[in-house]
Amino acid sequence: MQSIYRVAVREMRSLARRPLMWFCMVLAPLFCYVFFTSLMASGLPTNLPLGLVDCDRTTTTRQLARNLDAFQQTDIVREYASVSDARRDMQRGLIYGFYYIPEGTTRKAQRQTVPTVSFYTNYSFLIAGSLLYRDMRTMSELVSGAATQAVLYARGATTGQAMAFLQPVVIDSHPIGNPWLNYSVYLSNTLVPGMLMLFVFMVTVYTISMEIKEQTARGWLLAARGSMWKALTGKLLPQTLVFWLVGSLYVVYLYGFLHFPCHCGIATMLLVMALFVLASQGMGVIMISTLPTPRLGLSFASLWGVISFSICGMSFPVMGMHPVLQGVSYLFPLRHYFLLYVNCALDGYPLANAWPFVAGLLAFAILPLLLLPRLKHALLYSQYEP
Amino acid sequence: MMKTERIKNYWKQATEDWNYIFTKELKTIFRDGGVLIFFFLVPLAYPLLYSFIYTDEVVRDVPIAVVDADGSTTSRLYLRHLDATPDVHIVSYCADMHEAENLVRRRDAYGIVYIPESFTADLTAGRQTHVSAFSDMSGLLYYKSVLLANTNVSLDMNAKIKVERAGSSTDEETKVVEHPIAYEEVNLYNPAAGFASFLIPAVLVLIIQQTLLLGVGMITGTARENNLFRHPVPIDRHYTGLLRIVFGKAMAYLMIYLPISVYVLGVVPHLFRLNQLGAPSTLGLFAIPLLLACIFFAMTVGGLMRRRETCILLIVFSSVPLLFISGISWPGASISPFWRYVSWLFPSTFGINGFVKINNMGARLIDVRPEWDALWAQAIVYFLAACLVYRNDILGARRRFAARLDALRHKTC
Repeated sequence: MQSIYRVAVREMRSLARRPLMWFCMVLAPLFCYVFFTSLMASGLPTNLPLGLVDCDRTTTTRQLARNLDAFQQTDIVREYASVSDARRDMQRGLIYGFYYIPEGTTRKAQRQTVPTVSFYTNYSFLIAGSLLYRDMRTMSELVSGAATQAVLYARGATTGQAMAFLQPVVIDSHPIGNPWLNYSVYLSNTLVPGMLMLFVFMVTVYTISMEIKEQTARGWLLAARGSMWKALTGKLLPQTLVFWLVGSLYVVYLYGFLHFPCHCGIATMLLVMALFVLASQGMGVIMISTLPTPRLGLSFASLWGVISFSICGMSFPVMGMHPVLQGVSYLFPLRHYFLLYVNCALDGYPLANAWPFVAGLLAFAILPLLLLPRLKHALLYSQYEP
Repeated sequence: MMKTERIKNYWKQATEDWNYIFTKELKTIFRDGGVLIFFFLVPLAYPLLYSFIYTDEVVRDVPIAVVDADGSTTSRLYLRHLDATPDVHIVSYCADMHEAENLVRRRDAYGIVYIPESFTADLTAGRQTHVSAFSDMSGLLYYKSVLLANTNVSLDMNAKIKVERAGSSTDEETKVVEHPIAYEEVNLYNPAAGFASFLIPAVLVLIIQQTLLLGVGMITGTARENNLFRHPVPIDRHYTGLLRIVFGKAMAYLMIYLPISVYVLGVVPHLFRLNQLGAPSTLGLFAIPLLLACIFFAMTVGGLMRRRETCILLIVFSSVPLLFISGISWPGASISPFWRYVSWLFPSTFGINGFVKINNMGARLIDVRPEWDALWAQAIVYFLAACLVYRNDILGARRRFAARLDALRHKTC
């Protein structure tokens, strides 16, 4: 116990002395909290710029354009004389899509010969494109309906009867847990803890590898009376505390202050965060034990940390990946954290329902114990090579 | 005569120094395993890894559970059509919502479609009927699939019901009743609305900037650790002219990054069959200011690194915020002015936007003129900044050197 305490004090002194550690453990995570939550503060992008190519220029088509403009997510910024003009502005990135009404639309509609209108969306910007698509599609359905609706009213149908004729089957959409389709809810919940994980990887690998580089590893082991697990516990415990506090700050900020959906209560998420920090530290120890040089250890940490964001399934679902990657994804602590967050905070199921992922995080925290002899050997005998 | 001789000598010396610094820098790069990882391994392997993750582009057949409380021919028809869409796949027909919820809880299903008991009755009586679609919100793509499949099936069914009720006599009339105004949708520049086509191009440009930052940061950090006066360039008669130092180093990086960027920006999209609408000449012309801006930016920021490993801790994490701030994933039109101004500091912002426009949308150089100009401006500004950084360091080192010399002199006398 005493030796753990001694190592912990030694570690705290060394952490406090390095500005880089202050940056990685406190400043940069705080910056990320502010950055991501303020960047996506509006939740769902609104008023995306849209173009209109109206070659018909009648009252009907102008009405259509006004309706489209009234949608929350779209904003008609410019009208174009031709499709090529609109396409050019799309290539310049000034508009995300445009609506094309060919000449003769109104005439054909009155003559009942089914004119065709088109909408073009730029899916190079996937999110903006998807949002526009939804509005333009709804709009087109409404246009179609409006023509028939007028006839039905004229025949004396009530609104209910008219709607029942126009749209017999209605889809009620229920997005569970995020009814506002808030983009920030869907990203900030995993992205920012992922950033924290990246810093945990880095700091764990960096502080251990610096002992090798600065040839203080023997002093470190001596302080723990030669016991590797005591040395490691003493070293990592202060970091665990700091990271858990910084992580908890985010949990409180997100669920307590910004009121992101959290059906399980903040306490559960604090517990999940603690597990996540421990798991990330475990992963860090695995990295430096398998590749005990600063350069390779940190490269490993960067690779694993950055790939986590893609492979954890928060943006692109894991089920859409190659089967091999579906298995590999469980080697990333962020995947487990993501599933736990979905289970607890978003869907409100008890923690026990997702026990395999809790076990997964614990495994990350415990597994490095197997590598301790290897790490000790590396600390005692390996030479620093730049 | 004397004057021309002097000028000639000056240029001779300058080119000699320039050559010396250039070759020395290349030697440093190829002898340092850490720098080689960043300059070669990461740009070569990372794009492949990313493309592999997103290779399927879209999610197909999202598993869903259905609760058919009606159990009629019409409701079964609806569900059969639903199952036939590419977006969802019905994994279970449940007896009640409770059973379906259990499937979602175990993550065997990512959505529930509930058909009410009154489904057929409503339709027969000419009332509106409501089908409920519940979707798991852990990923927006699940929601999109569930909603899209249901919308398409219901629109189809609505059209058929309308036709039945209207009792039209000819085919042409049927078409009019179905859709008085038809519409078509065109997905431009990413026909499958795929994830890779949208994200990979941005990642490619970011890889160029970030690996340069990491590599240059590591070179400078190492030099400072090894040199006596924490000096980023060796004290050597060849390392005297500021411009020679900055240009010599920059050209070494440029030489390495020319083939790398041909691979990253040209070959990788080809390997994974991503969009490549841009003319190679446009891409080449755009890549020049991009590379220069990235190199001088890397020399400015990397020049500040004090230690070998510092750059990894400081730079790797910034990739994620930089990707978001570039306006590719989160629409640029919705980024607040403050963050937009911040984003102008980084070559990646303009690089990503310009590259996406050229590569994905086939823009010409004139269409990406704002980005092109901005990159040139950054190249110039960061070139001056890099000169300033190196100048300060050289002067600082000289001062420390002089102080040390003084101290030694005092000691001896």
